[in-house]
Amino acid sequence: MITTINEQQKSGSALLVGSPRSPSSQSPYLMVSVSDPAKMGNGVQAYISYKVTTKTNFPEYDGPEKIVIRRYSDFVWLRDRLFEKYKGVFIPPLPEKNTVEKFRFGAEFIEMRRQALDVFVNRVALHHELQQSEDLRIFLQADEQTMERARSQETGIFLKKPADLMQIFKGVQSKVSDVVLGKEKPAEESDPEYEKLKNYIFQLEDHLAEAQKHAHRLVKRHRELGQSLSDFGKAVKLLGNCEENPLGNAFSDLGTKSEILSTKLQREAHHLLMNFEEPLKDYIRAVQSIKATIAERANAFRQNCELAEAIKFKEIDMNKLRITRSEKLGEAQHEYEELKADGAEATRRFEKIVKLMNEEIIRFQEQKTLDMGLAFHEFAKGQADLANGIACAWRSLLPKLEACSS
Amino acid sequence: MITTVNAQQRSGSSPMAQSPRSPSSQAPYLTVSVSDPAKMGNGVQAYISYKVITKSNLPEYDGPEKIVIRRYSDFVWLRDRLFEKYKGVFIPPLPEKSTVEKFRFSAEFIEMRRQALDVFVNRIASHHELRQSDDLRTFLQVDEQTMERARSMEIGIFKKKPADLMQIFKDVQSKVSDVVLGKEKPVDESNPEYEKLKNYIFQLEDHLAEAQKHAYRLVKRHRELGLSLSEFGKAVKLLGDCEGNALGKAFSELGAKSEILSIKLQREAQHLLMNFEEPLKDYVRAVQSIKATIAERANAFRHHCELAETIKFKEIDMNKLRLMRSEKLAEAEREYEELKADGAEATRKFERIVKLMNEEIIRFQEQKTLDLGVAFHEFAKGQAELAKGISEAWQSLLPKLESCSS
Repeated sequence: MITTINEQQKSGSALLVGSPRSPSSQSPYLMVSVSDPAKMGNGVQAYISYKVTTKTNFPEYDGPEKIVIRRYSDFVWLRDRLFEKYKGVFIPPLPEKNTVEKFRFGAEFIEMRRQALDVFVNRVALHHELQQSEDLRIFLQADEQTMERARSQETGIFLKKPADLMQIFKGVQSKVSDVVLGKEKPAEESDPEYEKLKNYIFQLEDHLAEAQKHAHRLVKRHRELGQSLSDFGKAVKLLGNCEENPLGNAFSDLGTKSEILSTKLQREAHHLLMNFEEPLKDYIRAVQSIKATIAERANAFRQNCELAEAIKFKEIDMNKLRITRSEKLGEAQHEYEELKADGAEATRRFEKIVKLMNEEIIRFQEQKTLDMGLAFHEFAKGQADLANGIACAWRSLLPKLEACSS
Repeated sequence: MITTVNAQQRSGSSPMAQSPRSPSSQAPYLTVSVSDPAKMGNGVQAYISYKVITKSNLPEYDGPEKIVIRRYSDFVWLRDRLFEKYKGVFIPPLPEKSTVEKFRFSAEFIEMRRQALDVFVNRIASHHELRQSDDLRTFLQVDEQTMERARSMEIGIFKKKPADLMQIFKDVQSKVSDVVLGKEKPVDESNPEYEKLKNYIFQLEDHLAEAQKHAYRLVKRHRELGLSLSEFGKAVKLLGDCEGNALGKAFSELGAKSEILSIKLQREAQHLLMNFEEPLKDYVRAVQSIKATIAERANAFRHHCELAETIKFKEIDMNKLRLMRSEKLAEAEREYEELKADGAEATRKFERIVKLMNEEIIRFQEQKTLDLGVAFHEFAKGQAELAKGISEAWQSLLPKLESCSS
């Protein structure tokens, strides 16, 4: 049983569960890291490849260590397969595919993506259901050609255009649960607790998106203020050079301080980006993944209901055929048994999703409280430290300036 | 003798040289204030009028108090007349005429202009030469119709378009001192101290203008950061509303703090504008006024040199006529005497300008050191206080956020 690790989920380094120095009859471990992004190919075909390192003592895995090369679409393949097979589980989210060409190979973007992919894989490896997935093993172990072949065979839900995906989400929001199959019969659970959860999820997504948008603007404003302060500092230094002392001296000091503070502001902008805005974005993706699971649950419910209805109609048919002693009765009975088996299967699937979701919701709530608390703590701390540094810098100049103005 | 009032020159209130409660055989005083801006007229004819209140016991003035109504062009008239009559004195600068229509009647612009006009008049009333001016008395005392008549008769140097004014300054920089009369003979005083001063003035103007430009940008950046922080705070509060318990409360407080800090930032932006950027602008204008005086000195010098040359030629002419015993000799002698009188007058005018400038430079240096020292002190103080407030606000939240993330 692998312990859930909170703070390390975001650190981007390999997870250490149990000590790797323990004897070989140790508890099972599966540690993954995504590292060493490298640009491959040229022009429009160019892409980034990542080194995926797996350390494990699982019998199914080639241990103790294996390194494979993977690209973004391989991660997408894994996410899609898990989404298909583990309905009810909140599949960890992936960072978005970036469509702006010039930004695609920026150092900051590549590093943020690498971190997000590392977090993704680790969340999968830590999840007690998902870590047992065969597809995970293929992703972590297969050679590159096998991986490529697997990837090109994928025909899952996510191969739909993003527009279709949004439609699915919207459909869930408007409680029409049958957009995927193109039918329009509203069949929804009348579970007030579940309704409450759905409303909460939709509201949360809106509010997170707003907060993230404004967090991004704050990053920008810090950079702009820093730039202006730097320009100002240079101008003041020039002013100081043409004055005599002590005024000239005071100006030079003020100019120098401005440039130092400009650097602090740029650093804080970067800190806000990595330790606050990015976690908010990750959060939004997680909530969107939950919405996809909500859609799956709605599908399973609808299917369950439809089969239940079909079975009822079949019963009525069969009774009619029994009364008329038709020779079609045998066939009808045979079909009826099949329907009942399908119905039982659909019910089982739906109930499994409900059970899994209930566990997932609890995990999600706990994890979220921690993650959000951490992100906002980072925010307040970074801002407090920055402001403190700024206050000290300006205060240290006051005695000199007071001497010039008295 | 009226004491020069330093700190009060910027306060926008009437400077009190002596106590008004002293007996009537008290020292002479002249205190002026510009207040109560009011919009007059409509549409394109609209303008702002100001109340100018003079308290004085000088015999030439209608005391003890007189109130007149003046507009910006009246101040311009006064500045132009003083510039014509008091060559060598650094005439206090006026705020610029604003050409952007929508900005012309904004509260901020009107208040900044009122303050600048108040400072302008007070500097004149505190200057031992300028305050004796008849034009000042006219400006402070006559009724509005008389003022309007005086204003429409004005044909001074500043009636030229701003482009011409810049041309004058540029020529001073390139040591061609004769743009006003349209001649092009470069004449330079070969006074190394004076050359040094001119270079200093030109450099100072460039550097001040740069510093002022970046100070203005800093004001803008403070406003923008404040606005973004306010929007961020609102978004975070909404986020807090849909969370329960400790986390939701922490978010609400973080949002509330963000909004408080947004207001602090807006206030600091305003403080920077009024107590730092505006003094810098005032300074740039003062330096431009000095450049105008430099141009006047160059004109007087050139005039004096030309006359000296003309006199020499006239002597040669006269000696020729004497040798030839011409009957034109008497007339030539008469013209010669006139020229010598003009030459003496030109020399006297030039030397007076030099004397006045030397006094003015000392006053300027002292005043400048004080003014810039105060402005930059205000800057550092305001920034330090803002940063302190921000730091405290964020720090006060840390304990709450720490408990959410542990």
